[in-house]
Order: sequence, then C-alpha cells, then structure tokens
Amino acid sequence: MSRYTDLQLDALRELANIGSGTASTALSSLLGRSVDISVPNAFVLPMAEAVGTIGDPESEATGVVLGIVGDMPGSVLLLFTPKDAELMCGLLGVEAGSEFAVSALMEIGNIVGASYINALGQMIGMELEPTPPAAATDMLAAIVETVLAERAAAGDIALLLDSDLVVEGEDCSVSFLLVPDQGGVDQMLERLGV
Amino acid sequence: MVRMGELAASAAAGDVLVSLGLGSCIGLALLDRRVGVAGLAHVVLPASGGTPTPGSWRFADFAVPELVDRVVKLGARRPMLEAVLVGGASMFAVSNSSLEVGQRNEAAVRELLRAERINVIATETGGSRGRTIRVHVSPQTVTVREAGGVEKALVTA
Repeated sequence: MSRYTDLQLDALRELANIGSGTASTALSSLLGRSVDISVPNAFVLPMAEAVGTIGDPESEATGVVLGIVGDMPGSVLLLFTPKDAELMCGLLGVEAGSEFAVSALMEIGNIVGASYINALGQMIGMELEPTPPAAATDMLAAIVETVLAERAAAGDIALLLDSDLVVEGEDCSVSFLLVPDQGGVDQMLERLGV
Repeated sequence: MVRMGELAASAAAGDVLVSLGLGSCIGLALLDRRVGVAGLAHVVLPASGGTPTPGSWRFADFAVPELVDRVVKLGARRPMLEAVLVGGASMFAVSNSSLEVGQRNEAAVRELLRAERINVIATETGGSRGRTIRVHVSPQTVTVREAGGVEKALVTA
C-alpha cells in the first residue's frame, strides 16, 4: 500500500482538513450551532477493505452522495447513523421518518458537500463543480460500495479522506468521505507540489 | 467473507460464503448441488476494457471465468453448474448514468453466463435495496436478506 508517501498522505489530510473546516462553517450556519471537526483520516486501502474500515457493513445508515465534475472527478459521501439522522432532523425542526426528513438530510448534504468541494477546488486551483445530491437509507456496505464502484474502473485501491463534523452540545455527528478518481489524486498531489 | 472484487470457492461442508450489503455490485453464486461445491464472486463493474489486475476480480469479464475454473477445480461438474444472482440495485433515488452500474453489472454477468452455458436458477436483483447473500456449501442453500428484513431462501437443499 505504499502507493503514496507519508508526506503525500499528510498533504491530502491537510486538504481534507481545510475542506471540512469550510463545510463545518456551512453546517454551523445552517443549524445555528457551533460545529467542530475531527482530525481527518486518510486511508489508502485495497477496495475490498474499504467498507469494513468505515463501519459495520450491515448497520443501517443514510448516505447523501454528491458527484464532483470538472478537473478532478470524484464523489463526496456524507454518512449519518439513524440516531444522527434523527438528531439532525430535530435541529432543523423536521420530524424524523417523515417525507421531509430525507429532503432535509439531502439539503444538509448539498450545502455541506458543495462547500467542501468548492473549498477543495479553490485550494488546488481546479475547476470543481458539485452535482445534485442523491440519498439512500440502507445497509452501510451497500451505500459505500455503490459509491466506490463508480470510481473503481481506474484501479482497485480506494483513497478515503474521512472527517467527522460534530455538532456542539448535541451528541450528533456526520462523517464525511471524499473518494477521488485515482488519476485525480495524482493531479491533486502535483498541484500541491508533493 | 467475499468482499468487493473478491471471489471464493469451497467444497467443505459447513462453509458459508457471504457478501454483506451488496449495492450496485452483483453477488454471483455458482453451484453444483449434487457434489456440494459452491463459489461466490463479488462483482463490482461489468467490463474491464481488457487490462487484468492481478488478484482483483472486480470486473465481470474476469470474475465469471475465474469462478467457473475454481469450482471445477474443486470437483464441480461443468455441465451441472447453476447460477444465482443477487444485487445490482440502484441505491440512490436520483439517478445519473453512472449510478445505473447495477443494471449493467447484471446484464454483463448474465451474458457471460450464457456464453458459458450456465443456467440462472434464482435471482434477487434490481430495485433500490442493499442485500446480503449467504451461500451454504453443504447442504447447499442460498439465502438473501435486505436491510431490516428477514433471511429469505432462494435455493433450498
């Protein structure tokens, strides 16, 4: 798995950090609460191991996915546990399980994901545009593997940049995954000069 | 456990081959029910475009022939092979072309099975739900479960 050096992984982690910093500001103004970010993890893994690294494959999760089009194609996936989804909806004044709940989570995904993608694009000087969000509530593995499958043609190594956004005062968080196409990662590193 | 892009075969009674939470991927089981040999592939994408990656069976066009080889090596008789397909869902409600990978996966696997003259005896494919497939090697049964659902038998002993 030595495809990327430690220095390169640090650079990617830093990118994820700044991206999720911007995303947390967006989430914070949406919810009217302060939002903290965790130190991001950068995983470079064989695709087979990616799902298990994220969580229990058969646990229930809601995923909101945004595609990235432009200079560096990829996907951004936001994952909510059922409890986090319910708390998020509560903070927005939407009843969990109602037909509005999915739209509310999708809107969170849209705002947070798009600000992440924009921050990333600005930082590395690339034209990156988010595509409209799509959502699913299902087994974690089914959601994650479907997002990975889209990016799997180029290679069977998955690069996951994983951060958590934690809403202050609530036991509530969203995890955040950036899944770039493999060629895109090399471009990104080139722009960063590492 | 057969994870993304992996495959496995077994002739050991009591073995269970499992793929958890298939989304757009296909779980392809090959069975010779009389001799108790079974295989399972977790196919991610329909076609490779020709460049094989050692050790990865994520493309249908590499995975299907390889799985046939593996079960035959364990004593399955080629003309007796039967197939079960699970997965190939469109997980995300708002669909764009790339999210229809599920349908393309299923079509590709079916085409390859036709070319190998292997009959498909049971399927649980399409739709929008993730699924787990379990293949019990002997006595040979195949079950499928959706998120929040109960285990359902596709092939019974």
